[in-house]
Amino acid sequence: MVRVTSFLLRRLAQSVVIVLLASLIVFCLLRTGPGNPARMIAGGMATEETVEKIATEMGLRSPMLVQYFIYLKKVVLHGDFGTSFVRPKSGASAVAGGRADDPTRAERARVIDLILDRLPLTLQLAMMAMAIALSVSIPIGLFAGLHAGRWPDAAALMLSSVLVSMPNFWLAGILVLVVSIQLHWLPAVGYRDVTYSILPAIVLAIEIIPVLVRSLALSLGAMMSQNFVRIGLIRGLHPSQVIYHHAMKGASVPLLNMLGVQLSALLGGVLVVEYIFDYPGLGALTIEAVLQRDFPLIQAIAMLTSAIFVVINILVDLLAGLIDPRLEY
Amino acid sequence: MTVIDADFSEALVADEKELSVARRIWLETRKSPWFTVGLGLFVVLVLGAFLYPLLSGADPQVMHFREKLLPPAFAGGSWAYPLGTDQLGRDMLSRSLVGLQISFLLALAAVVLTFAVGAAIGLYSGFHGGLTDQLLMRVVDVQLSIPPIILAITILGVTRPTPALVVLVLTLAGWPTYARVTRAAALGEREREYVRAARVLGASDLRILGLLIAPVVLPPLAFAAVLDLARLMIFEATLDFLGLGLQPPTPTLGTIIADGRKYLMNAWWVASLPGVFLIVVLLAVNMMGVALERARNRVLGGL
Repeated sequence: MVRVTSFLLRRLAQSVVIVLLASLIVFCLLRTGPGNPARMIAGGMATEETVEKIATEMGLRSPMLVQYFIYLKKVVLHGDFGTSFVRPKSGASAVAGGRADDPTRAERARVIDLILDRLPLTLQLAMMAMAIALSVSIPIGLFAGLHAGRWPDAAALMLSSVLVSMPNFWLAGILVLVVSIQLHWLPAVGYRDVTYSILPAIVLAIEIIPVLVRSLALSLGAMMSQNFVRIGLIRGLHPSQVIYHHAMKGASVPLLNMLGVQLSALLGGVLVVEYIFDYPGLGALTIEAVLQRDFPLIQAIAMLTSAIFVVINILVDLLAGLIDPRLEY
Repeated sequence: MTVIDADFSEALVADEKELSVARRIWLETRKSPWFTVGLGLFVVLVLGAFLYPLLSGADPQVMHFREKLLPPAFAGGSWAYPLGTDQLGRDMLSRSLVGLQISFLLALAAVVLTFAVGAAIGLYSGFHGGLTDQLLMRVVDVQLSIPPIILAITILGVTRPTPALVVLVLTLAGWPTYARVTRAAALGEREREYVRAARVLGASDLRILGLLIAPVVLPPLAFAAVLDLARLMIFEATLDFLGLGLQPPTPTLGTIIADGRKYLMNAWWVASLPGVFLIVVLLAVNMMGVALERARNRVLGGL
């Protein structure tokens, strides 16, 4: 227990540093690129002075490191990720407005609210995708792993090679064409109820399935030729006992590692897939934020994703250590 | 998708036969039918992508406004446009193949850079150890924790993307993995007899790294890097699709597919056929990857 606690503390401390550095990089990248958010807020008609005034008010004219530390201080001390540059509280974007003295401008949406608003939909999508991916890849992977070197193994390998070669945006188009437009089975665009998550979730799952199948087939196949498995069978233990309790235990650590990597990849996949399906989750929000140069929003999303990434990694290592006590923390 | 992991380095730190292990894996790989089929497909498609637009005289940019959205020859169209035309009456076959060329060239450039940067940093870090190593590996951690797509949109979303910028983004996304794996392999070599012997004989660090360690550590990684082409081609096409890659009128697979999505109802071929080219190339690369993975498992015995 002490070992686990000290592992957690050490890794958490490292993660904080990593997330801070990652956010600093994104912060600087955003501010060195072209695109003037003050101009976007002021509108095309505003004078240079108005734009300058807004830029100064927004703190865009201080040195970059100063801006970063002011930002960080608010985040750390008050959990305040700032307000969106462009989104008013009510929801719709306020970029187009030409009047610089628009009274509603003071009431901009808080970044944290925007994110929390969209997060549940993305989590729902990610969980559905993971559930589909696991329920397809575990049986296939088991079957292939138990017949290592024979046709099920080769077939699973071929299947995963084909699946892994399909770009998600292409697959999404084909699925929309066939499943929604031709067959009218599932809705494709936007979000009204949970059925709207199914098609995007399938696309995400198909990205993950091949990797999981191959990882499971390979590690289980290797486990099955290990002495402790063979001896278990010779000693008369029931094959299912040997497979599920002995071989799977050893095969689950590589699978778990892969799952961690895939969960992180899912974060990227979600962005593309939400964009394609016009699914109003965090991914679509990210793309909108970039198009609108909404720095505080991009910044917070980037920080959130890298935090999720490091937390997933810690959890994977923690679980792997619990399954296989030989692993060092 | 090629999985590059620490197992690669196991081939190297095995025992005194390590030079022959990498070589045996390679020989075993070449024997596999997966490799032969994959390589054949790959060569045919890539050659086709470069030769067809040159030889056929079909111009991917010329618009024929009276011949918009014509179906492919096999679906009732004419052989003048074997894969039909797009919404501006441009020849789909030559557009797809030029798109494939671009995707291939950008991914290739990125693979070379990714490998060079990752391997150099990994070798240096693993060989030197100590504080330098710690610092470099933390840089790797930080880079890995920024999802590539977020990095891509923050760099490419706010400026006009150029080929160089796209390659830069692909490289930034890829180098940390290579650095990590190379470092692990170099670390394993550092205390080996032959390295210590060379040091006693007065060889400089650079000489040991370049002439002794690199030739042992890098070949399997280089092969894996070539297979990483598939992943990078998908990533490049995704950037194009999101409008973050090369801009029109350059025909890229991603932009063709993105445009074609508007005509899914009445012209399914615009969004689907260019993707088929990409898929077959990726499948070819991935099949070579499968051959490598199996050969590795066979040579190393088990996992």
